[in-house]
Amino acid sequence: MNLIYMGKELYHRKRRTLTAVFSLALGITILITINALSKAYSEAARMPLKEIESDIIVQRAGNVPENLDGAVFACSAVTIRKDEVNQIRQLQGIQGFVQALLLWVFDADRFTIVLGFDPKNPVGPGALRTQVTQGKFFEKGKNQALAESSYAETYDIKPGDTVTVGGQDFQISGIVDASRATKIAVANIYLDMEDAQRMAKESKQVQNVSPFESNDANILFIKANPEQIDSLARSIKKIIGEKASISTPASFLKHLGSLFSLSDKFSLATSLIALVITILIVLKTMAGNLAERANEIGVLKAVGWSNKDVVGQVIGESIIQCLAGGILGLIFSLIAASMLGLIQVSIPIPWEMSPTPHFLPGGGDPVFKTLQLPVSISWRLAVFSIILSTTIGAVTGGLLSRRISRIKPSEVLKNE
Amino acid sequence: MNNILTAANLSKSFKALQVVKDVSLTIQNGEFACLVGKSGSGKTTLLSILSGLEKPTKGRVSINSTSITDSSENELALFRREKVGFVFQSFHLIPTLCAWENVALPLFPVKMDKEIRKKRAIELLNQMEIGHRAEHRPSSLSGGEKQRVAIARALVNRPEIIFADEPTGNLDSETSGAIMDILKHLNKKNGMSILMVTHDQDLAASTDRIIHMKDGKVVS
Repeated sequence: MNLIYMGKELYHRKRRTLTAVFSLALGITILITINALSKAYSEAARMPLKEIESDIIVQRAGNVPENLDGAVFACSAVTIRKDEVNQIRQLQGIQGFVQALLLWVFDADRFTIVLGFDPKNPVGPGALRTQVTQGKFFEKGKNQALAESSYAETYDIKPGDTVTVGGQDFQISGIVDASRATKIAVANIYLDMEDAQRMAKESKQVQNVSPFESNDANILFIKANPEQIDSLARSIKKIIGEKASISTPASFLKHLGSLFSLSDKFSLATSLIALVITILIVLKTMAGNLAERANEIGVLKAVGWSNKDVVGQVIGESIIQCLAGGILGLIFSLIAASMLGLIQVSIPIPWEMSPTPHFLPGGGDPVFKTLQLPVSISWRLAVFSIILSTTIGAVTGGLLSRRISRIKPSEVLKNE
Repeated sequence: MNNILTAANLSKSFKALQVVKDVSLTIQNGEFACLVGKSGSGKTTLLSILSGLEKPTKGRVSINSTSITDSSENELALFRREKVGFVFQSFHLIPTLCAWENVALPLFPVKMDKEIRKKRAIELLNQMEIGHRAEHRPSSLSGGEKQRVAIARALVNRPEIIFADEPTGNLDSETSGAIMDILKHLNKKNGMSILMVTHDQDLAASTDRIIHMKDGKVVS
């Protein structure tokens, strides 16, 4: 293998070299970009859940309460019994878990969405701790509550005030800007789980729709091993039954409806097709180049180059072209990724994830989480594409050189 | 004088066509011999067999008492690299390489210092009186200059014998004369053995020996 010769061959046969390099660059760009795009949609679909430190949200759909009076279940979230909660908690792959209780409370002077949960648990709505704008987060067993900022503004609530919800008084410990932080499980008042459970147990409307014991819940926030999210969702569905409403990144991905988000198989198939076409173009270009150089190869062999020397030279040239194509493809992909990163995606949040009665202003409006598509190229994908390019170079060079190296110099050098 | 090349009972067939028929010949050390004959007489095929570019169907070839007939392809490649030099009618220079790189081409697979390789190539170009064209690519060289580069390439591995196939076939008469002078000089001053194929009787007449071929046979 002679680098001077290699470099000059590639430099002086610009058309063929550039065709091979740009073909491979294009193929690698398509491969990387499609994969990065597919990953970006998956990442985007995770965002609504990630904001509340969860991977799975579990609810059970129920009936509409007969009378909207006092505390009622939001019709999308009825009782999940204690024994069901315990069964779910035992499943493998769960890394964090919190049970919560979502209620609509119709008091005489106001309507309030209440969410009860353990304030010490960082999973789920516990993530709101970082979003407190005034006062402090509520504490367990102190009859405290946290007010959502727009609700607090409407009713002129400040930290230290006392609010009455469902006939019970709570001291406001702080104000939280929840709706800006998350679009899921947004409530007006956040309470300790035990206070919310007591409120539900005492409510006739709750008990009429779905019997509720003091340790039950109606919404579960689960943090799980990313590899096991789908299998966990299937296991939970078996425990909760047909009316289970289970939200995972995959279910959000379906709501997104993008071609890239539909399936990994689509990305894989498109990448493979692009790659196969690229390899064929590279192969054809290099084969054409070598056919043009049959005489030259004959000369090399006549002056004492062995088959091995010829094979080494051709493979070397092929690897250099493909490596250059791979690096160029990676650069194109980085440019494409930075441009695609400007795209904004709106992820529709299912109504039951943040239920507001339809008769209230904005109650039936679709809710979206809008974010910039988080397109990035991982170093693994970058390294893979370079290794792939080099391998394509070695394989195509190897395939082509084996035949050309067997040329008999006497056949190609006969006088014209 | 010792024989540098000995060929015994060489035959070569391509399918049913017998191109070389039972040829035996010797070339002495330091001899400038010339193969002449009409087109299709088998002289180029015989040259290919004698130089190890082609294997005979029958017969044996030895150069300096070493038989090349039973050698493997790799052994033949090594033999061509170390023992023989080639000059072709169409020069067969690599278009992407400059003159000195073309001269150094047989040395590319050899592990040696790049500077030594370049120095040796430039020295040969200077001997051919085209040292000033060392960095030029073949496309900017005249026919005579190209053939001088090709002769320098044939000499770069310090061969024992040069095989020249119609070396002046693509050149005008003046340039042909100059190239022949170089070959004769190599033969007389350096003692280089040369076997040349030509159909030009005048050129053939200026060599030590003329070997006539007709219908695949050596006739005189």
